[in-house]
Amino acid sequence: METLQYTLRKIITGIPLILGVTLISFTLMVHFGPDKTYDLLGKNPTQEQITEVRHQLGYDQSFAVRYTQYLKELATMDFGYSDSSGEKVSSILIRTIPVSLALILPGFILGNLLGVILALIAAYHRGHWIDKIIMGVSVMGMSVSFLIVIIAFQVIFSSSKGLDLFPVRGWDVYSFTDYLHYVTVPTLASIFVSLGYNTRFYRAVIVEEMGRDHVRTAKAFGAHPIELLFKSVLKNSLIPIITRIMFSIPLVVISGSLLLESYFGIPGVGKVTYDAIISGDQPILKAVIGLTAIMFVFTLIINDILYKVVDPRISLK
Amino acid sequence: MNIFLKNLKWLSGLLLLTVVMVLAGCNAAVDIDKALEGHLQGPAKIYRHSLGGAPSSLDPVNAATVYTNFIVVNIYDTLYRYKYLARPYEIVPNLAVAMPEVSDDGLIYTIKIKKGVFYADSPVFPNGKGREVIAEDLIYSIKRHFDVANRSQGSWLWDGKIVGLNVWKEAGSNYNQTIPGLKAVDSHTIQITLFKPYPQLTHTFAMGFSALVPHEAVDYYGREFSVYPVGSGPFKMLRYESSNYALMIRNIKYRQEPIDLAFEGYDPKQHKQYGIDKIAGKSPPLVDALKIDFIKESASKWASFTKGSEINYSGLPVEQVEQVLSQKQPTLILTPEMSEKYHMFHTIEAGFVHTDFNMRDPLIGYNDDPVRNKRNKLLRCAIRSAFNWQERNDVFYSGIAIEYPGIIPPVVPEFDPDLSNSSTLHNVNEAKRLMLESGWTPDNLPTLVYGGVASVSTRQIYEQFRGWMKDIGYPEEKVVFDSYASFGDFNKAVKQAKIMIIGMGWILDYPDAQNTLQLFYGPYGSPGSNNSNYNNPDYNRLYEQTSTMQPSTERTQLYRKMNNMVIGDCVSITGLSRDDIFLWHKNVISYPDSQILGGFHLKFVDMLDEEGN
Repeated sequence: METLQYTLRKIITGIPLILGVTLISFTLMVHFGPDKTYDLLGKNPTQEQITEVRHQLGYDQSFAVRYTQYLKELATMDFGYSDSSGEKVSSILIRTIPVSLALILPGFILGNLLGVILALIAAYHRGHWIDKIIMGVSVMGMSVSFLIVIIAFQVIFSSSKGLDLFPVRGWDVYSFTDYLHYVTVPTLASIFVSLGYNTRFYRAVIVEEMGRDHVRTAKAFGAHPIELLFKSVLKNSLIPIITRIMFSIPLVVISGSLLLESYFGIPGVGKVTYDAIISGDQPILKAVIGLTAIMFVFTLIINDILYKVVDPRISLK
Repeated sequence: MNIFLKNLKWLSGLLLLTVVMVLAGCNAAVDIDKALEGHLQGPAKIYRHSLGGAPSSLDPVNAATVYTNFIVVNIYDTLYRYKYLARPYEIVPNLAVAMPEVSDDGLIYTIKIKKGVFYADSPVFPNGKGREVIAEDLIYSIKRHFDVANRSQGSWLWDGKIVGLNVWKEAGSNYNQTIPGLKAVDSHTIQITLFKPYPQLTHTFAMGFSALVPHEAVDYYGREFSVYPVGSGPFKMLRYESSNYALMIRNIKYRQEPIDLAFEGYDPKQHKQYGIDKIAGKSPPLVDALKIDFIKESASKWASFTKGSEINYSGLPVEQVEQVLSQKQPTLILTPEMSEKYHMFHTIEAGFVHTDFNMRDPLIGYNDDPVRNKRNKLLRCAIRSAFNWQERNDVFYSGIAIEYPGIIPPVVPEFDPDLSNSSTLHNVNEAKRLMLESGWTPDNLPTLVYGGVASVSTRQIYEQFRGWMKDIGYPEEKVVFDSYASFGDFNKAVKQAKIMIIGMGWILDYPDAQNTLQLFYGPYGSPGSNNSNYNNPDYNRLYEQTSTMQPSTERTQLYRKMNNMVIGDCVSITGLSRDDIFLWHKNVISYPDSQILGGFHLKFVDMLDEEGN
């Protein structure tokens, strides 16, 4: 009951957040986003034709009217049709979001899981050569551009000049085997880059926890290192870890991974969003931004509930 | 370990969620063989092509880009097309029975269309069976361009030219109303009445814009007709994901028309090396399925092609040229390694790149003060003399593009190979002399604003330009870059005549110099296609005079006169046409062309089996 009440309260208090995010984004979109008028016009348009297109795009309406319309679309989850392709925005999202999830989740989960494990090892051996190696590799992973990693991995694992084990690009997936075939290289690239950031962050959190009295007590008591790390250290470090993971989820789900999708030719929502930004396809942008804001609100709620799960002392009140 | 056991249900939930998401992602994808199941029998010939960009829409009213047009002409029928192999391009009947019958005054065109041509089967038709294509379909398809709801990008082709069409639009685009200038004389004969002769009309019926659309499909899909095309062309769309790929299968209802190679312009010296002789007598389309991947990233596109995921590669980027070619001059030769694996064909693009001065800008263009006006012209001429086309070609086009004076590119029959190239020569001394003669000094020179999209290549092009300006004594700080976040913003600024110096490219809509000459016709100034806003009354008069003339020596002379006017007034720094290189795997019979012929060539593409048959 307490959780339900908390959730409802949070949903209500999340509305101003959604309004704030959508208002700022919409303002940026309207005033700084690309003007699509001339993309949609043919050659030698008359002033009348220009006016017609601007009217169809809603550019001739006041900001207030357009923003109200946006909120209505958000409430009904009907964002109309893409200004570029003419396809229903909901159809585009239904088609692309699952692809992005399927692409990103393995790397996301493995990147975080491995990050925590390496951070535990590094923190346990703080100052030792193991710690230095892990941190050195992490910095290396962080320093190399994601784009370079993608191209290098494509050449090494996929191209005819490399190992030629996986497809260079595409998403011709129909079975789990196909899936593994297509997702492996993007996942490796994603892990390579994210692992450094994750490990460093988690190590910092864990090192702080390692210095606490209860850990010293457990050590003095002769606890086994594994038990010490998982039970005494990790469990008490979960709050910042959960926060980091949870707050990445909306971006992973909705925005996808633009570079991975572009370079591996994967039809996910990240690529769609990027194209919409570049071309000024406002119906798609409005949908993506609105949904991201809503997901953030739900993430906040789940995040707080998870806090209570891992630390019962926290009250949802 | 305990902690894992305690949280097992959480971990299981996470695992389950991952599996569900993964399966959802799998389900959203496509496997060609699976997708083709039930549509084709026996082993399928699948041709996989890569395009460097994606179509924005597949509705013929939006066939404004090379990419859209490429797909549209394969799904839909047009009345005319260009011969597969003949160069210069020759227009021939496609859905039409013959070339149009034109009245003596050039105002009435009568076109008969073939009988027994059917639309591909689709749920839009009763019982899912495609009906016969009739003359009314062309009328409906042209009307759609004049219905504001469709946001047509092709209405300019017939705007103010067909009797009653504009009036129909102004009256509210009621499809039940007839248009005097667009008549179906019978179910298979169309009669078009013009206000004045329009020699390019037949060419407009070879463009994707004029593709015949069944009204049933538009009624059925509404706005989403742009992603669910239904036509009578050689292929039928099976799956389409905008910005990713298009998968098409052979339209089994497509008319049987055996290929007459002699008619298509076959020349053994040129075409036999590609195995073109093997398709003689066969009826297109020759492959069972087409998969066209839209790949913008050149590194990815190249890796995918060399691996064999796509079997055709068009528009070789600069960074690959050295790797692929062993010789660039006097002819292009592939490296032995490449030559063993791939066929190569290269051709000069049907278009050109040019750098325009905005004549509406009084700092560089027209000025009310006659003295300043003259000084501005000399300054433009000086800048043009400082421009180094050879360097531009070497750095950005691998040194294999063609440089020539003026705005009539080599691909059209009106090109003048004997025209003096003095306007394209890099001549620093001449530039300095012109500046001195017109009284320009570093102190009084206007700031040159070079506009472009914020990208690495545009910035590099600008820096090269700035370097040349420095060579003629232009202060560095007086040559600035005005960058725009997207092409939409840049285009808007161009159309509002806000940019002083504009780097542009143009791809011809049809092989007639009128298509490039209109770029400098005064009334087409911004927001029209005349980005330079050049407005020379003599030029305009000649343009209007030639606009009703059929191709002739006299018209060519007038075109060339107009070309000289643009050169003489130093309105634009021109010109250069890029050399497009195409590569394809040796098991494919093809003669690719990405522009005028565009997607039309795909119905002639064939695949060899392992034994080379």
